[in-house]
Amino acid sequence: MTWSDLTVIAPFAAAVVVAALVILADIARPGNRHLALGVALAGLVAVGGLTLWAGQAPGTAFGGMYKVDNLTTFLDMVFVAIVAISCLFAPDYLEPRGLPIAEFAAIIVFALAGAMLVAASADLLVLFLGLELMVIPGYLLAGYHKRDALSTEGAVKYFLLGSFSSAIFLFGLAYVWGLTGSTRIADVAARVGEVVAGHATLSPGLAMGLAFLTTGVAFKMAAVPFHYWTPDAYQGSPTPVTGYLSVGPKVGAFAVVLRVFAEALLPLRQEWLIVIFVLAALTMTLGNLVALTQDNVKRMLAYSSIAHTGYMLVGLAAYAAGVIQGLEGLLFYGAAYAFMNLGAFAVIAALQKRPGVSSRLETFAGLGRREPALGILMVLFLLSLTGIPPTAGFFAKAYVILAAVQAGGWLTVLAVIAVLNAAAAAFYYLRVIVYMYMRDPTGEPTPVGHGALLRLGLAITAVMTVILGLFPGLLLASVSSAAQAIGVAIR
Amino acid sequence: MDISSFPILSLIIFLPLVGALVIALIPRRNLGAIRGTALLFALATWVASLWLVLGFLPGRNVVASAAGSFQFVQAIDWIPLFGIQYKVGADGLSVALVVLTTTLSWISILASFSPIRERVKEYMISFLILEVGMLGVFLALDLFLFYIFWEVVLVPMYLIIGIWGGANRIYATIKFVLYTLVGSLLMLVAILATAFTFQAATGSWVGAFDLEKLAGAGFDGTFQLFAFAAFALAFAIKVPMFPFHTWLPDAHVEAPTAGSVILAGVLLKLGAYGFIRFAIPLFPHGAHVFAPLLIVLSVIAIIYGAIVALVQPDLKKLIAYSSVSHMGFVTLGIFIFQQQGLQGAILQMVNHGLITGALFLLVGVIYERTHDRTLAKMGGLGAVTPVYSAAFGFFVFASVGLPGLAGFVGEFLVFQGAFAFNPWVGVTITFVMILAAGYLLWMVQRMCFGPVSEFLAGLGHHLTDMRPVEILTLAPLGALTVVLGLYPALVLDLVAGPVKAILAAVDPAVALSIGR
Repeated sequence: MTWSDLTVIAPFAAAVVVAALVILADIARPGNRHLALGVALAGLVAVGGLTLWAGQAPGTAFGGMYKVDNLTTFLDMVFVAIVAISCLFAPDYLEPRGLPIAEFAAIIVFALAGAMLVAASADLLVLFLGLELMVIPGYLLAGYHKRDALSTEGAVKYFLLGSFSSAIFLFGLAYVWGLTGSTRIADVAARVGEVVAGHATLSPGLAMGLAFLTTGVAFKMAAVPFHYWTPDAYQGSPTPVTGYLSVGPKVGAFAVVLRVFAEALLPLRQEWLIVIFVLAALTMTLGNLVALTQDNVKRMLAYSSIAHTGYMLVGLAAYAAGVIQGLEGLLFYGAAYAFMNLGAFAVIAALQKRPGVSSRLETFAGLGRREPALGILMVLFLLSLTGIPPTAGFFAKAYVILAAVQAGGWLTVLAVIAVLNAAAAAFYYLRVIVYMYMRDPTGEPTPVGHGALLRLGLAITAVMTVILGLFPGLLLASVSSAAQAIGVAIR
Repeated sequence: MDISSFPILSLIIFLPLVGALVIALIPRRNLGAIRGTALLFALATWVASLWLVLGFLPGRNVVASAAGSFQFVQAIDWIPLFGIQYKVGADGLSVALVVLTTTLSWISILASFSPIRERVKEYMISFLILEVGMLGVFLALDLFLFYIFWEVVLVPMYLIIGIWGGANRIYATIKFVLYTLVGSLLMLVAILATAFTFQAATGSWVGAFDLEKLAGAGFDGTFQLFAFAAFALAFAIKVPMFPFHTWLPDAHVEAPTAGSVILAGVLLKLGAYGFIRFAIPLFPHGAHVFAPLLIVLSVIAIIYGAIVALVQPDLKKLIAYSSVSHMGFVTLGIFIFQQQGLQGAILQMVNHGLITGALFLLVGVIYERTHDRTLAKMGGLGAVTPVYSAAFGFFVFASVGLPGLAGFVGEFLVFQGAFAFNPWVGVTITFVMILAAGYLLWMVQRMCFGPVSEFLAGLGHHLTDMRPVEILTLAPLGALTVVLGLYPALVLDLVAGPVKAILAAVDPAVALSIGR
């Protein structure tokens, strides 16, 4: 280990240290939630700063197992933002239910460390390590409301299917390693390239490995037909956890996809293009169709998050067809989705401040009159999720569609499927607005105050949703350099 | 101040937005200030649009590019990576429709003072944002910017119908949004494909969304077919053309009065404007291939709208179906690609906006007093409310196409064009005029003549004649109806340049050669 190794892994190491500090703070001053949360938030700011600093000098560490490139930096910043915003709007929901905040903060920062490790992995084993470090805290968080039967049920499902898919992923990894002789992503890419160049057909072993890897990753990002764990895990988890689970592990899963498919298996892109094409079409369509019938907003957003996975896969398919804008679109989509979806969940969490308030549609009845500010913010997030301009969600959709159109051919059909899905999605997103503004509240619920942190979290997500919609150019440079970090090989 | 160096178009587009932001700061209980501010900003926008007309007139006949001749062009790089610009500009067509929009907007806001008593703040904000979207659509010269304004229109209208509408408002508003969204999202794919095709041909994103660069770029024939079809679907839904019209009667019936006025007066014109400004100049070959189909659909809309209007028991539904018929004249006039037809179509757009807007205002006046719109319950209004009946009769005659009033000239020009295009089409649509006279005059008869109906008599002194404010909202529309009826050159002269440019773009010799 050298000094330069340390500077390269500084952001990751800092995340681990912050998680440990949160635990220490909780031990030193048990029950002092302000301290634990303060340590976590200050630590996250530091991690963000370190990420930007380390990102200025891309490099590798530990003999090429760990790599910082522009993609790493971009993904890390998105992860830090996701975790920080989740911490901001959690207390308002957790406190009244007597759920410990320090544990929440510590666990979620550990998950951040895992996600950062995934984003920085140059070796498939490191990648797997990161993946596990990212998802295991997720299982804990999902079941963290111990006395709630739904929470426990969701957590068990999430844990079983999650471990199952990790095993499948690892199994696929073993095949790839066996046939290429290395776990370094660059080596794997080179060997796979030779195989592809040598004989045109795919060897059965590699095909099987590819199938297992795809299945494992599809589970993690909740692509249809590997999505069954999502609705239960999302509905059962405490709302701030659901918010985090719907974006954090999702962007993390896409980080895995990028490192595995877009880097290690890039030479095989013609083969997995078909797989991604079918997955994208199925995921968008089924996610939306099922979301149409939900009357619980959390569950509806769970299915809609499946649909959003589908839109992001459109970008990946375009990239497989040789259009780097597909990769850029996917990354932009990930960032935009993180802000708008977290915002929507923050509003739900704010509404559920009093224990016992459900997340059914009726809870939203008359919200526009009861709490005008929350109502307008929810409208903004829902419009962005629908893809109405000028919001981040619109530009993100336009970006992946542009990439698909550029790829041409069958991908144009995928673009058309995507926009028809967006129109169908409008129905269920707008239904929430119908409840908020066009129906009268069922009872007269007493107004609740909202914490300063929650307000800050809402402000950040709202501002980002608008800014990324009005001035997407602000993010385009980093998106484009992040995509080029791994996308040079294709053009 | 010298207007040519002043960003007058941006001022016009964003003045209502400033108004909306100001209203957002006013406490919601202060209804007077909220209403006053909304009206003030709408009036200021109207004045600015009149200033635009004065500044525009001197240079109106200069033809600069295949897309037309635009003045006051303002272009700022917005997303340079994809060559997306904030680019606005005005030609005679946009100027005419901008003035129509700003006029109807302040009238609608004034007309909303009395009927809208719930959530006034949200209503006024929605209305001003709606105005921003409509003005932006008429002035945008960048396809991406155009699409954004196009969608911005959707949300406030969704809220206006859904929150302040009638009993079945939620069904109507969701239907309106879903119909529009399906069309517009497919148009988005076509816009992106167009930009990319341009980028692939030139090797650069510069100008890839710029209407002036794209028009006349001569896209490949097959591509034009697909792209035109996608644009045409979006615009046909908005116009609405048969068979995509079914959202319109629902939306009209459920919308509050001012919503109906703007819906009929401006929103339907967005579709027709889209055809003229974007679909045809960008894809002339596609336009030629699809023109026969669109002409047939227009003729069906003209006949079908009129026949269905005959049997409507509800006042608003009747006028809504008459809109389907009248907008059929507009699309017919556009797609016969012929001077009188196109001039007539544009004139008809303005006229229909004024006249149907006024008719919906008048329906609103009677609805506010009776809380009913069923024709069968009306009767004998002439004796009770003479001013109202006179106004109603006046606008109905204008709608029928009485010579001397605005409705006549536009339809007459479309007839001329249609006869020149194909005598059978001409004969058919002339015949429909009889139907139109039938349903409209029958409506006046049932409303205003005969003995006072039991229902109206039961209202007693609640059934008052028009108040001064209501007269004030109708007077400008009435005046314009007379002026444009006697002196249609006011609009025709304004749009002579754009008409020439569009007809040059669809010259069959040029447009059809692309496919071969």
